[in-house]
Amino acid sequence: MAIKFSTTFLLRKLHQVTGIVPLGMFYFVHIYTNLTSMNGPKVFNDHVQDIHDIPFLLFIEVFGIFLPLAYHSIYGVLISGEAKVNVLSYAYTRNWFYLFQRITGIFLFFFLLFHLLNFRFGLIPGLNMTPVAGHAQEAFQIVSREFQTTWIVVVYILGVLATAWHLAYGIFLFAVDWGIVIGEKAQRLTLKAALALALLLGLVGVNAVFSFVRPCGLLPQSLCEAPRFNRTPTAPARF
Amino acid sequence: MSTNEHVHKKKLTDPPKTIKFKIQRREKEGADARWETFEIPYRRNLNVISALMEIRKNPVTAEGKETTPPVWDMSCLEQVCGICTMVINGRVRQSCSALVDDLLLATGGNIVTLQPMTKFPNVRDLKVDRTRMFDHLKQVSAWIDLDGTYDLGPGPHISSEVAHERYVYSRCMTCGCCLEACPQYSENQYIGPQAIAQARLFNMHPVGKTEMDERLNGLMEENGIANCGNAQNCLEVCPMSIPLPRAIYETNRDITVNSLFGWLKK
Repeated sequence: MAIKFSTTFLLRKLHQVTGIVPLGMFYFVHIYTNLTSMNGPKVFNDHVQDIHDIPFLLFIEVFGIFLPLAYHSIYGVLISGEAKVNVLSYAYTRNWFYLFQRITGIFLFFFLLFHLLNFRFGLIPGLNMTPVAGHAQEAFQIVSREFQTTWIVVVYILGVLATAWHLAYGIFLFAVDWGIVIGEKAQRLTLKAALALALLLGLVGVNAVFSFVRPCGLLPQSLCEAPRFNRTPTAPARF
Repeated sequence: MSTNEHVHKKKLTDPPKTIKFKIQRREKEGADARWETFEIPYRRNLNVISALMEIRKNPVTAEGKETTPPVWDMSCLEQVCGICTMVINGRVRQSCSALVDDLLLATGGNIVTLQPMTKFPNVRDLKVDRTRMFDHLKQVSAWIDLDGTYDLGPGPHISSEVAHERYVYSRCMTCGCCLEACPQYSENQYIGPQAIAQARLFNMHPVGKTEMDERLNGLMEENGIANCGNAQNCLEVCPMSIPLPRAIYETNRDITVNSLFGWLKK
């Protein structure tokens, strides 16, 4: 018998895939770049410069990030609108997680809009007006200047925490929605792994935010010695 | 592990003199809903249905207003037919197996709230029309075609593991608890766990397997399996303890292998 896919079915599957590849993959690269700020402005700016040197950068940015992100976030908000939330009558853990996934998703929709306009494009009047894109050697300074304002730091902390949850639980949801994880025991294990990943991403994400305000972020500075091999000889050996 | 839980069950030691039943009433489909409270004397071992029968004998509200007797569905009275399902104290379950003592113990008061299920058309008072669940079964071809033009002979052997797993799914009584508790379910939006589990039941059968594509196609329609939100309330509320998420995830695997990546076999 011929296989028939409905539009909704395909849109849902596409939504699940775009969350993992490319968006999830991109996030790991993104958080890695952010964490290099623990080692100081020079290291961070060099990493930002590396991203600028990627071949076909605009193509990758548009088809690997902007389009999937636009699809995933807009369709995700539409899916959230379908929810008939009933956590008060049925207060089960997984039902709460179902709600968290939607709340973090809707929050991230607005957060990422702000984040892109704020740093990628520098288009929010009254805030930073220099885009990080094209100004790699000023990247650290742009971010740390912005992080002098408390409410912006709070917004970014909420942003990395929401991303940590949404991505880690999203990986778990992908595993069950594609029939990779099936049994109760396998689900318990995978869920634990997902929660551990959420915790890890959340902690390093918050530290990455603080490392733009204070060397090495919230960790003792002795943990963040400047790397021995700097690409440019003029770079300072330490903070 | 003790199997005699009833021995240790907490008992209502200090029962109230009367019990109040707050019931959501509706004259007919489409009419406005209203609340009416009835008060009946406490009696030991009441279940919600026997309390409703008591109210029906003398349909006068707690305020003394004469009204019509409340309408509800019931049949087997032993939690195997599923027809008396309603929302009791905010939670969906069968009213025959909802013991009033347990409800009072859980709330600590003397009020029991009764509502019809919210995800189905409300015919009157506590009675709903669950036809759509049978439409869902048609959508996923939840049966096995046996009749042919000639004798097909005895069916193939089924291993005890498969038989065991299928038996659990076969216990579904189409009560509607899973759909009522599912935050993703509403008419035309999502087919719900009940029909997916029945599709799984017949996909596991060696003869039913030959029609698997038809069932998977039914499950990939606009309201299909991809609308599952993994809240897993179905697992928690199913009175027959059917592992509904497992049926959904097993079917997800069938869809991934047979339908999504089916073209790789061509």
